[in-house]
Amino acid sequence: MDIEAIKKQIESDIQNISSSEGLEEARFKYLGRKGVLAQLTATIPSLPAQERAVFGQQANILKDKIANLILEKEKLFGSPASGAMQESVDIGMPGVSQEVGKLHPITRVIDEICNIFLRMGFQVVEGPEIETEYNNFSGLNIPLEHPSRDAFDTFYLKDYEKLLLRSHTSPVQVRAMKSRKPPLAIVVPGRVYRPDAVDASHLFMFNQIEGLMVDEGIKFSDLKGILEVFARSVFGEDIKMRFRPHFFPFTEPSAEVDISCIICKGRGCPVCGRKGWLEILGSGMIHPNVLRNVGYDTKKYSGFAFGMGIERIVMLKYGINDIRLFFENDLRFLRQF
Amino acid sequence: MKFTYNWLKDFVDIRLPAEELADKLTMAGLEVRSLEAKDGDFVFDIEITSNRPDWLSVVGVAREAAAITNSKLKIQSLKSTSGSQSLSPQPKTSFKIEIEDKKDCPLYTAKIIRDVKIRPSPEWLSKRLEMVGCRSVNNIVDIINYIMFTYGEPMHAFDLDKLDSDKIFIRRAKKYEKITSIDDQERVLEQDILVIADKEKPVAIAGIMGGKDTEVDGSTKNVLLEAAIFNLIVIRQGKRKLGMQSESAYRFERGIDYETARNASWQATRLIEELCAGKCVLAEESGLPAPKKTKVNLSLDHTGKLLGVNITSSRVKSILGNLGFAVSFKSKGVFSVETPLSRQDVKADVDLIEEIARVYGFENVPVTLPAVKPQVSAYTDTDRVYLIKSILISLGLSEIISYSLISKDLLKGMGQYSLVEIRNPLSKEQEVLRPTIIPGILKAIAVNLNQKQSFIGIFEISKIFSAGKDNPREDIALAIGISGVKSWLFSQGQIKDEQGLLHIKGIISTLLERLGINDYKFVLSPDKSVDIFVNKELTGRASRVIKETLDNFDIKNKEVFIAELYLGRIINLVNLNRKFSSLPVYPSISRDISVVVKKEISVDALLDEIKANAGALLREAKVIDYYQGKQIPDGSRGLTFSCVYRSEERTLTEEEVNSAHLLTLEVLKNKFQAQLR
Repeated sequence: MDIEAIKKQIESDIQNISSSEGLEEARFKYLGRKGVLAQLTATIPSLPAQERAVFGQQANILKDKIANLILEKEKLFGSPASGAMQESVDIGMPGVSQEVGKLHPITRVIDEICNIFLRMGFQVVEGPEIETEYNNFSGLNIPLEHPSRDAFDTFYLKDYEKLLLRSHTSPVQVRAMKSRKPPLAIVVPGRVYRPDAVDASHLFMFNQIEGLMVDEGIKFSDLKGILEVFARSVFGEDIKMRFRPHFFPFTEPSAEVDISCIICKGRGCPVCGRKGWLEILGSGMIHPNVLRNVGYDTKKYSGFAFGMGIERIVMLKYGINDIRLFFENDLRFLRQF
Repeated sequence: MKFTYNWLKDFVDIRLPAEELADKLTMAGLEVRSLEAKDGDFVFDIEITSNRPDWLSVVGVAREAAAITNSKLKIQSLKSTSGSQSLSPQPKTSFKIEIEDKKDCPLYTAKIIRDVKIRPSPEWLSKRLEMVGCRSVNNIVDIINYIMFTYGEPMHAFDLDKLDSDKIFIRRAKKYEKITSIDDQERVLEQDILVIADKEKPVAIAGIMGGKDTEVDGSTKNVLLEAAIFNLIVIRQGKRKLGMQSESAYRFERGIDYETARNASWQATRLIEELCAGKCVLAEESGLPAPKKTKVNLSLDHTGKLLGVNITSSRVKSILGNLGFAVSFKSKGVFSVETPLSRQDVKADVDLIEEIARVYGFENVPVTLPAVKPQVSAYTDTDRVYLIKSILISLGLSEIISYSLISKDLLKGMGQYSLVEIRNPLSKEQEVLRPTIIPGILKAIAVNLNQKQSFIGIFEISKIFSAGKDNPREDIALAIGISGVKSWLFSQGQIKDEQGLLHIKGIISTLLERLGINDYKFVLSPDKSVDIFVNKELTGRASRVIKETLDNFDIKNKEVFIAELYLGRIINLVNLNRKFSSLPVYPSISRDISVVVKKEISVDALLDEIKANAGALLREAKVIDYYQGKQIPDGSRGLTFSCVYRSEERTLTEEEVNSAHLLTLEVLKNKFQAQLR
């Protein structure tokens, strides 16, 4: 077949089309699966070998030409097909999408806090929830039969003597320091347990994050610096902070850290008990006895540690007023975060 | 601990406004919980840390206030009332103290007060006590309480005439001995509880509470005034065994020192005499010699390095001196510091450094950042768990957190577990560590069904626990629960998708594949639950929850589907390495197979057969549609498979594909009686 002749015929056909329907017909007639072009190419295998390449080339050029002609013509008719589509969309209808789930707010905040410390060069470490009495107490310089143990009231296991549910994440300090040499900078998130009666601010299970840094020449002023970066990252650049002397058996000097109330900006409100300050964490320089217990040279190394309750941080951050909401798992609550 | 400003001012010359003092105390570690103006005075309520029993007294707080405000202290310590002449020799009284084990009671002082006139206290005394919430009783009891609040030593007064001997015993209780304490409760004592006794019977539970029978009352004429030191561990254990708490026990279990006990005893005696409430005729004392004061070396250089600020030698000396430490020069830059007996918390140089920093002010320590030495930060299990959570939420599930401690009742009908039990749960709800997360999932589903949620899709990742021979096991697990109908609004309109086991399968398959784990299989077990094999090992199970279990969780008329996986195994298999494979050069040819087969014939069996017969050119075979309904005979179902053929070397011809494809159809027909549609 003479390609040139076919081309002329088609060109004039397309020129004469006067509606978009006609254009669609032409598209089908020439370019469709069983259209003229398809028939042309189907003849290629039957041609003498030396003609095939030239013929194939010409057929392709023709195909492009026709496609272009149809496109041009389409512009004249204002591409009615796509125009009709736009008119029919009510953009007020909900978008078609898949609903994704939500991370628990505690997971979100743990991740946020860990990331702040990761960016400062800390590593995330975890430890078991069943602990030895040694790691939970003695190794941390909390003597047996001392009132300081009251604060860490503890669940013990029935059939295993000297095993307990960790009452804080600090035993991971002992584990981490025993297994590694300084420099050491870690954060430890995890569940902890204390036999507390349940109310709006107490539960028998909650989450903590512990932090630890040990190296040569680590000082109290460094602790202040790191915690300031932390608190500003979580609660905002403009908060104020204060370090209040306190007592923890595993740190000396020890400090509790308050931030200016994020609700009333320090003026005093019910959330901060009209004090203008909110306590957010406990901290201090690691007690030399703790460093000695893990075999560190206290002449060479010093370090700081801090720990905080995650639920309290999440409650302050999102304005949640009852800690029990975290573990009731009402989706109306969980989907808010 | 409560005290009033005027009371404090008796011992320290201080002129600050009360609010300002409260702030300073808080910032020095004596956190002021409340400050209340009352009757021309101020009542402070401060929170005391357990290491500072010396702050459980007005003089202790006065010493602190003097140090932080640089004010003058006005504390006078007594070694006797006013010299030995005040002890009237007549009538001659003999009184003996017998301590069974002086480790239980390192010091016992007794004063015999004669001619006691019991009457109401003078107004200043009763008012002061009432200001701090202590009820005024009579002059003797009030004086004892006043001295306790002032100096920190709890004391006890016995009616001397009600004791049946001129000897007092400090000993452990005998089995089943009884005492009625002053709160009118009869208490059966255990052997290791320390008591004060006369010849016959216990007359007080040492350090915790006095006995009713020997209590001072309106007719009391002569008094035995006790001021002692008891072993703090013995007091603590005794208090716990008896379930008792008292101002006295609170102080004894934190520790009392010799100076405090002796001084308080004389201060009380003097006040009794001053208020003409009686006359001290005898002072006896027994016990161990006072311990030596400890000396600690303090290096100024180390102090500066640990705090990150240099504090001058003279400042250090004055801070410690004001707090009652004796500071002497040892060598260049080193002090030798002698600790007062009341400061048993100070054992090492860091304890002194804290004292210095406290008074110097934590707020005056600069803010610095440590030089961090970069460390290799590997991809950890924590990261893998976070990735798993992210995949699951992208699949529409929300994360829950439920209690690791549960009641055994919740495990009813869930199979046999070796449980780790709690020795001291507060309630039945905390009796065991859960061996599975499923009860937590079901509880959450119940809560949300109650809220009329139409679709619930949740998961939790946490530890599960089981009893092992020597140690309990602690493993990480993932549990998934789904229930209800998910509605989708597509362009075709609403589609209601009732949740079932295949949804669980879909979630887990997608999860595993995203984690780079491709060898997994779901196998229906005879009990209709589904075993999940990963790398050929049983790694989890999925099932429809049976009615009995749903009843146990108060879930009515709803289907719930759950799965639990040993996540530890999956975490170990996570493989996030990917390798690029070249994109296919040649086009593929796709053929669909639509068949009607008996329901019992599984898709797995059909697919296996297709794969075995379609030849080496088959690249992929999967189900793309299935249907039941009018056109399909009962007991059968229609399935459509899509088969993709491709060669990596050439363009396939229809003929090649057709022959492989026809062979496959033939096999399906013969083997499964499949009807082609």
